[in-house]
Amino acid sequence: MISETFDVLIIGSGHAGGMAAKILTESGISCLMLNAGPVANVSRNAEHKAAYELPYRGFKPPGRLEHVFQANEFNANVWVDEQEVPYTFEPENPYNWVRVRLFGGRSLFWSRQSFRLSDYEFKAKSRDGFGEDWPISHADVAPYYSRVEDIFQVSGALDGPPQMPDGNFVIDDNPWSQSMERFMAAGKAFDMPVCKQRRALGRDGLASSVNLLLPDAEKTGKLTSIANAVVRELTLDKNTGQPNGCHFVDRLSRRELSVKARVVVLAAGTLESTRLLLNSKVGNSSGLVGRYLMDQIYGPGVMCSVPQARNGRATKELMGGGAIVPRFRNITTKSDKFLRGYALNVTSSIGSVNPRNFAAYGAELDRKLQEYHGSSFHMTMMGEVLGRYENHVRINKDKVDAWGIPVLHVETKYTDNEFNMAKDAVDTGAAVAEAAGFEVLSKNVVPNPPGYSIHEVGTCRMGDDPKRSVLNKWCQSHDHKNLFVVDGASFTSAGWQNPTMTILALSMRASEYLASQMSKQNI
Amino acid sequence: MLRRDFVRSVVAVSVAPRLLLSQQVSNPAPPPPAPVPWTLGLNPKTPLPQTEVVDGIAKTEQRFFTSLQMATLVRLCDVLMPPIGNKPGALQAETPLFLDFLIGSSPAARKMAYTGGLNWLDLESQSRYGKAFAKLDDGQADAILKPWLRAWMSDHPPTEPHADFVNTAHEDIRTATVNSKAWCEVTSSGALGSTETGLYWYPIEPDIYEASSGFARTPLHVFSAPKTTHSIPTYPR
Repeated sequence: MISETFDVLIIGSGHAGGMAAKILTESGISCLMLNAGPVANVSRNAEHKAAYELPYRGFKPPGRLEHVFQANEFNANVWVDEQEVPYTFEPENPYNWVRVRLFGGRSLFWSRQSFRLSDYEFKAKSRDGFGEDWPISHADVAPYYSRVEDIFQVSGALDGPPQMPDGNFVIDDNPWSQSMERFMAAGKAFDMPVCKQRRALGRDGLASSVNLLLPDAEKTGKLTSIANAVVRELTLDKNTGQPNGCHFVDRLSRRELSVKARVVVLAAGTLESTRLLLNSKVGNSSGLVGRYLMDQIYGPGVMCSVPQARNGRATKELMGGGAIVPRFRNITTKSDKFLRGYALNVTSSIGSVNPRNFAAYGAELDRKLQEYHGSSFHMTMMGEVLGRYENHVRINKDKVDAWGIPVLHVETKYTDNEFNMAKDAVDTGAAVAEAAGFEVLSKNVVPNPPGYSIHEVGTCRMGDDPKRSVLNKWCQSHDHKNLFVVDGASFTSAGWQNPTMTILALSMRASEYLASQMSKQNI
Repeated sequence: MLRRDFVRSVVAVSVAPRLLLSQQVSNPAPPPPAPVPWTLGLNPKTPLPQTEVVDGIAKTEQRFFTSLQMATLVRLCDVLMPPIGNKPGALQAETPLFLDFLIGSSPAARKMAYTGGLNWLDLESQSRYGKAFAKLDDGQADAILKPWLRAWMSDHPPTEPHADFVNTAHEDIRTATVNSKAWCEVTSSGALGSTETGLYWYPIEPDIYEASSGFARTPLHVFSAPKTTHSIPTYPR
C-alpha cells in the first residue's frame, strides 16, 4: 500500500527543478523529485587519468555522441547516449541536442556565465516589431535575479550598460591586463562596450543544483527523490481532467511505476519537458507546444596573437583575463543586415596557442608554437536566434527510445538573420583586434549546428494570450492551473545571454507563486 | 576389546543422543557451497594488482588499412610530426598503428575520409614523381602537402577536398602523438603541447538491458559463434 502522498511532483533535478524543490519545500510543501538518470559520485565514478591510459588516447570514442561536440573520452559517459535516447532530424538540418541525465542534470557541468536578460529582450517586440514581448519585464524578475546571484555567488563588476543589467555580485576588482586594455580602447571606435565577465563562483568549486539547491530542500525533510526514473507520460484525473501524477519506468529494471501528486512541475530541460507534454497530449490547446525553438549561435570567432607577448615576453601584466562584450548592435543604432544582436566572449591567455592556428607542420610548426606561446587572444560569438514558428519539435511516432517512449523530431535551422549576424561578429571582432595591433591567426563565420550552445529555450513560451502562448507569466499552463513548466521552455525570446540565471530566477518566481496559491488553496 | 576401543565406545554411546538432540533443537545452517563464500575475502585492504597500459609493451595489430595505405600513413606521420629535440615523433609514439585501430573503429564517413585521402596522396605521388608517397623525400612530400594546409578554428576544419583530409589527419596525428605514453614520459616546453590529463568518468550505472549499450554490443561468449566452430556448449542463461 502506498503510504506517501505528495503535494508536488517535480520532474527533473537540474537548476530549474532544484530551485523549485528548494522554494516549495521551504514553504512546507512536500515534493517528490524524479530524475531520469543516476547519482554521479566523483569518488566512486571518476578517476584522474592521462589520455594514454584510456582506450582511445583521449579521442572521443568512435561512433558515440556524434552530436555532442563537447564530448571527449574523459567525459563521454556523462552525456546522454544518442542510441539510448535518440532524436531525429532531416539530414540537411542537423541539431545538436546535448543532454545530461545524471542527478543534477546539466547544472553539474555548465560554463557558469551568469547574465540577466534586460528589457531589450523582455520587450524586444516593442523595439523592433519581431516576435512577442514577454509578459514580464526586468523589474518583475530583478528581485529574484538578485537572490539567485547571491546563492550562486556571481562575480562581476557593476559596469554593465542598460542591455546588461548589473546585479548582486561578488565584486571583481582585478585589474585589466594590458592586452585587454588595448582591446577596450580599440573597441570604442566601434561602439563596443567591454565589461568584466560575470561568472557563478558557487561554493567549494561547484555551482550546481546538487550543492546549492537540493541540500536546502533535503534539510526541510519535505523532499523525496528517486533516481533512474524515466517518466513516460503525465496522468490525468478522470473526473477533473487535470494532471495528477505520472507513469515512469525504472531505468535499470524496466519496472513500470506510477505516482500521484496535486501539482506537477516540469523541469526536465526545455526539450524533455516539451516532449513529455507532447507525448502526454497535455497543455496544448494553443497548438504551440514545441513551437518557437530558439538557442544562440555559437562557433563563429576570431583567434589572434598579441605580438608583444611572443618569444617568451608574455607577462601577467600584459596577458590574461576575460571580458564580455554585451550586445551592442541595434541598441542606439539600427543594422540593416539583422535584428537583435550578439555578444563576444573575449579571452586573453598566457598559455599555449593551438597548432591549428598555423598552416605549418613539423619543425616549422614547432618554431611557431614556441614563438607564439603566451600570446593568445581570442573572441567567440554568442548570438541571439530569433523565435520562429517554423522552428519546432514534434513527436516522431516511428521511433522510440530504449524504454519505448516516442522520440522528438527536431526541425529547426538558422536564417539570413543569424548568418548575417555571425559575419558581422567576425568582421567586427577582427577589425577591433587589428586596430588593437593584434595579428589575426584564424577566423570562422560558420555557426555550429543549432543546439550546440546547450541553450535551447522556447517551445512552451509564456504570454498573456492563451491562444498565442502555452504558459502564463508564472510559468503556469494556461490549460491546467496545477501544471507548471519552470525550465527554459518558457522563454519568449532567447537573447544573447546564457539562460541559466533567468531559468533559476523564473523557477524561483514561479515556485513562490505556486506556494502562495497552494497556501490559499487556489490550487 | 582393547581398553582404548572400549573407552571410545562408551563415550560414543553417551554423546550420540546429545548430539542428535542438539541438532533437532538448533537446526544449524547448511555448510557453505565452497570452502569460503565467493566474495567474502575482498575488502578495502585488499592489495590491488598493478597493471600497465599496452603502449610500449605490445604492438597493435594492423587490421584496417591496406599495406599500401599503411605505408602512406607511416610516411605522412613521419613528415607531419617528426621527432624534434627530445620529443618523440609520431612513429616513436606508434601513431600509425593507433590510427589504424581508431579509424578502423570509426563510422564509415571517417573511414572513407582516411582511405580516400591516403589513396589520393599515393596517386598524386605516382603522378608527380612516379613513385609511392612512402618513397618520397621530405621536399617532395612537402610539395604535395603544403598547399593544402590551412589555419582553422575548432569544430570547423576546411571543407575543400584534400585540405579537409590533410588538416584533419594532421590534427589527429598530432593529438595521438601528444597523448601517447612516449610523449608524456619526456618533459619539455609546454608550448609544444602536453599530454591531456583529466577526470575520467567511468560508465555510471549503465543500463545493462539496453541493446545499444556497450555491454550489449559485446556478444555473449557462449552464443558468439556458430556451434560448428565453437566447442563450448550452449545452455540456458
